[in-house]
Order: sequence, then structure tokens, then C-alpha cells
Amino acid sequence: MTPRPRPFVVAAAFAILAVTALPAVPALPASPAPPGLPALSSQGLRDTGTIRGRVDVRRPSTPPERRPNVADLGAHVAQSDVSDRLTSVVYFDAAPRTAAAPVPGHAVLDQRDERFVPHVLAVTTGTVVDFPNSDRIYHNVFSLSKTRPFDLGRYAAGRSKAIKFDRPGIVRVFCDIHSHMNAFILVFNHSFFALTDAEGRYRIDNVPPGSYSLVAWNEGVSSGPQPVVVSEGGEAELDFALR
Amino acid sequence: MKRALRALLVCALALSRQLPARAQALPSEPVSIADGHVTISGDVSAAFGGADTGFFNYTDYEHSALRVFRVDLTTAVKLNDHVSMLGEVRTENVGPLQAYAFYLRVRPWARRAFDIQAGRVPPTFGAFTRRIYASENPLIGYPLAYQYLTSLRADALPINANELLGMRGRGWLSSYSIGNPVPAAGLPLASGFRWDTGVQVHAGAGLVDATVAVTTGTLSNPLFRDDNSGRQVAARLSARPIAGLVLGTSAARGPFVTATAARGAVGAGRDGEFTQTALGADAEYSRDYYLIRAETVFSEWRIPAVGAPVIDAPLRALASYVEGRYKIRPGLYAAARLDHLGFSELTGTSVRTTWDAPVTRLEVGGGYSILRNVLVKVSGQHNTREGGRVTHLNVMAAQIVYWF
Repeated sequence: MTPRPRPFVVAAAFAILAVTALPAVPALPASPAPPGLPALSSQGLRDTGTIRGRVDVRRPSTPPERRPNVADLGAHVAQSDVSDRLTSVVYFDAAPRTAAAPVPGHAVLDQRDERFVPHVLAVTTGTVVDFPNSDRIYHNVFSLSKTRPFDLGRYAAGRSKAIKFDRPGIVRVFCDIHSHMNAFILVFNHSFFALTDAEGRYRIDNVPPGSYSLVAWNEGVSSGPQPVVVSEGGEAELDFALR
Repeated sequence: MKRALRALLVCALALSRQLPARAQALPSEPVSIADGHVTISGDVSAAFGGADTGFFNYTDYEHSALRVFRVDLTTAVKLNDHVSMLGEVRTENVGPLQAYAFYLRVRPWARRAFDIQAGRVPPTFGAFTRRIYASENPLIGYPLAYQYLTSLRADALPINANELLGMRGRGWLSSYSIGNPVPAAGLPLASGFRWDTGVQVHAGAGLVDATVAVTTGTLSNPLFRDDNSGRQVAARLSARPIAGLVLGTSAARGPFVTATAARGAVGAGRDGEFTQTALGADAEYSRDYYLIRAETVFSEWRIPAVGAPVIDAPLRALASYVEGRYKIRPGLYAAARLDHLGFSELTGTSVRTTWDAPVTRLEVGGGYSILRNVLVKVSGQHNTREGGRVTHLNVMAAQIVYWF
């Protein structure tokens, strides 16, 4: 008797499965402001306005689950906190045309208790992000995102490695050893964005008067661009609901 | 086959429906339902390899590790902080679904790493058994200790040394005079593809973990229902003395010859004497972009001495491998494994030689992650065997793996 491989049938079935597995990751605006948008005047920040509102995440958030590996000899301590998965980011679809170039900053994405802290990080282009390992075990931070692929290798507690993010976009970060660890870094080429607080509220200050489109993002889900008008020295309100 | 394919697609669609509308795609993380009480994960792999005319990579008579389409679905049902159920169903080459693992896990003290598991439990012995999924194996082939089929069987016994020596290098389909007369595949040193049934206790304290299990089958022949009068006792101790280093040692012992075969050889009531005893040691070290693993498994089988020339000593085998992986750039790695399986000598009427043909395997390959959970692997194997019809085999294979 000979083996019964059916390579073509299983290859076709598996190819369909693999292709449908490709996730659709929304891209952040990479271009500078389109023509027609208002420019920041030299009057300073006196005439700028504020946009504030709330992002209502209306779908269930689940805690980061470990893969239930039946080969494990023992159980792992369960993690049930979902608060960090409710953090949303609200950002300008396109920045004001003459908005000053963002100042590169420094940020930290810690690895603690087999989690990335914070789970969502929003930075401007040119920012250097440190990835310290605050656990007693090895971690291996990596990303396969087109925006900034990297692999920091395995390193132990007390050590840190850093990556500079030069291009705008969404960077999904993982640990190669602990598959339940993941985080998002949203890189913007402007500074008109804000993270929501525990109640889902956000506030973007120093907005030049004009009409804009804002987008809310949460865990890979984006709202459509929502119009908002900011008057001179005024305060505009815009709420989002993400399903 | 159509029914199985349909079931697979229905299953995939059902899982996809658990996702929000944002991703019209298969899941990339475990699917959590019922308020986190039920977690489902999966591992799908398809390997396409050249013809293995020497049966070097067969895991039983019909399945080669280099030509298999495998779907694993794992479910964990957390009843409360102390009790959970874990199960896994598997299909290979779109065949019937089989329950691979199904056990109850009880944690008496929620904050202490002390678990009692009962049912079809994970193997206690060895390190590789914790990495059985394609996504965790850097290459496509498996270590010889956990996959290669020796000529020995639990349900059929050679009447003398000559008969055993006549099966050298024919583990994929051996047959003997005593017991089951139907030709069938032999046993590996330790089965990486079937799990045993029994009770297992695991405890962890700081940098040390210990596991003890009592099961119906043996390391090479795990069973759902016992087929002899004895139980296997297995134990494992592992330690993490420094970050990145894991050292482990394992032992197992239990009767492996079926009561029917033993009765055919030496009469009733003696099947408990014919045991498999195994010892293992393993080490893993990783740092930066490299990972190195080494593991040794020693096994000794005692089988009845029936006719002359008698098999007057235990049959021994020693398998050792060392494997390494190096990450070249994000998503891309290279890997290699050098593996050897040797056997003790036996005296026949006209020859003294090893009771099975020693095998050496070098596998070199690599992998590229298209996505975090979609991996493509390629590898090339060079196999040599000091006996059997095919003594050399070079074979290439490719594999695609999706997991969530």
C-alpha cells in the first residue's frame, strides 16, 4: 500500500483558508494636509479651538486570552482585565496644512506581567519607543507591520531596546514567546490626535479654526471620517460610536 | 472527504462569526465566547514533501509528517477558578475527526501552581511533546525519538532473535509470529502523536516544575484502554536556573506488551514483566536571535525470550538531537536539526548486529511569517539508515501553517 497524499485538494482548501485569514489593517493618513485646509496663522495659539467628545465602544471587549495549549502540563494564571482594550484614539484624517512639523518624542512600551503596558500608544513620526522588559522571564518584541517591521530578539529582565518610528501608520506589536501579548502603536505625521480616558472621553487642543474630518479607532476598528467645524477660540463636540 | 471539507469550512465560518465586522477574516487570536469561559484555538498545517520511499518520516503506516494536512481545534472550558476542561480534536488528510486530548484540570488552590489532570492527558515525558504543533516546530520533520517507527510492536512478538533481526529497517510495517499476525507499524521510542490516559499531577515552585503521572499505556504506546495488567508511571522535573535556560529530565516505566501477545509467548499472568523503561534529558537556551535545543531519550524494552537464538537481553535504543534556530530578519529564520537514533546489539544465528537499523537525519530549513499567524516553512532532509531496503533518502518539503 502506498501513501495517499492529496496535495492539490488540500492545497486549494488551505490556500483559501490562508488567504481569508489576511486581516484588513486600516492605514493611517500618510500624506500631509490636502490643499484647501486652513493654515495656522502667526497669531499663535490664542485663536485656536478645541475638539472634545466621547468614543463609545459598543462591542464586547474580551481579555487577551492565551492559546489553550493542551500540551501544557499546568494551568496559567488567567488575565481578565479588559480596561486597556477600551482605549481608543481619535485623530485628524489630515492635519492642518501649515501645522508645525511634529516634534519627535520619546515613549515607553513596557513588558510587565506578560502584557504590553500601555496596550495602545500614539506617537508622532520620529519618536523613539523604548521596550523595557520588566518581567523575570524572556520576551521577544517584534512586528511584521509594513510601517515598521522589527524584531528585538530575546532579552531578559532589566534590559531595554528601542526603535525609532519614522513613518506614519499602525504598528501591531507582539511577543514571539507569549502569543497573548500584543499592543498597537499608532504613528502620526501630525500632533492632532488624542487617546481616550477610562470613560472614553478625549480632547484635542490647539486646533486652528476650520473644517476637519476626524476618525476614531479602537482595536483595529475605525469609524468613518466625521466632519467637525472649529470656530476661532471655540469648542466643538464630536462623539463616536464603534461597533 | 467532501463531508469533511464541508465540516472544515463550516467550522472556519462559525469561528469567523465570533469576530466583529471589522475583520472579514479568520481569527488571529483565540476565540473567546461565553464571557471568557470558553476559549477556542486552532492550528492548521499543510505539508507537501517529496516521496518518502524509505518511510523515514512516517508516523504510522499511512501518514508521513512531510505529506500531511492537519487541522487541530482546541477548546478550553473554564467552569470556575478551580476546574476547567481541555480538549482537542484533530483530522489528518481530511480524514475523520479524532479526539486527541480530553481531560479535566483541577487547581485546588487558585493562586498556587498545583494542578491535577485526569483523562487523556498531555505526555509527561520529554520536552518536544510540548511543541507538537506545526507552529512551534521550526522545521517540518519531527525528532526521530518521537516519530521514527522501530520494528518493535506491543501486540506482536518475535519468536527469536533471527525474526527480530529480519525486521531491521522495516518499522513501518513489521510482522512477527507471536500475537497479532497482521503486519502493522512499529513503535517509536516516545509517541508524539497519541496521548495516554490517566491521572497527572503538576506542581511549580519558583524556578522548578515537577510532574508525575500514572497512565494506562506506555511512552511508545499510549492507550485509551489498557491492554495489559500494569500501569505506567512517568515523571518530569524541569528547572530555569537563569533567564533563557531550561533544563529537564524525565523518566517513565510501565508494561508495554499486550496481555494477548505475552500470553502467546510465555503464558498467562506474566505480561507485567515486559516493560518499557525510558530516561530523558533536555536543555534549551535562547538569547537575542538564536535558540538552541538538545534532547536525549534512552529506552529499554524487555520482551519474552521464547525460542533460540533467544533475545536474552533488553532491547535498548538511544536517540539524541540538537536543533537550532536563528532569526535573520523580522519574520524570517533559518533552522537545522541533527538527529541520531541507535540501537543495542543482538546475536542471531549467523550475525551479531543492532536489533534495528540505526538512523541519522540532518534537516536544514527556514521559515517566513507572511503574517504573525501564517508561516511558510521549507526544509531539506538527508536521511541515512544502516539497513532496510532504502538506506539513503534526500527529500525536500514545504509547509504552510495557520494558527489562532
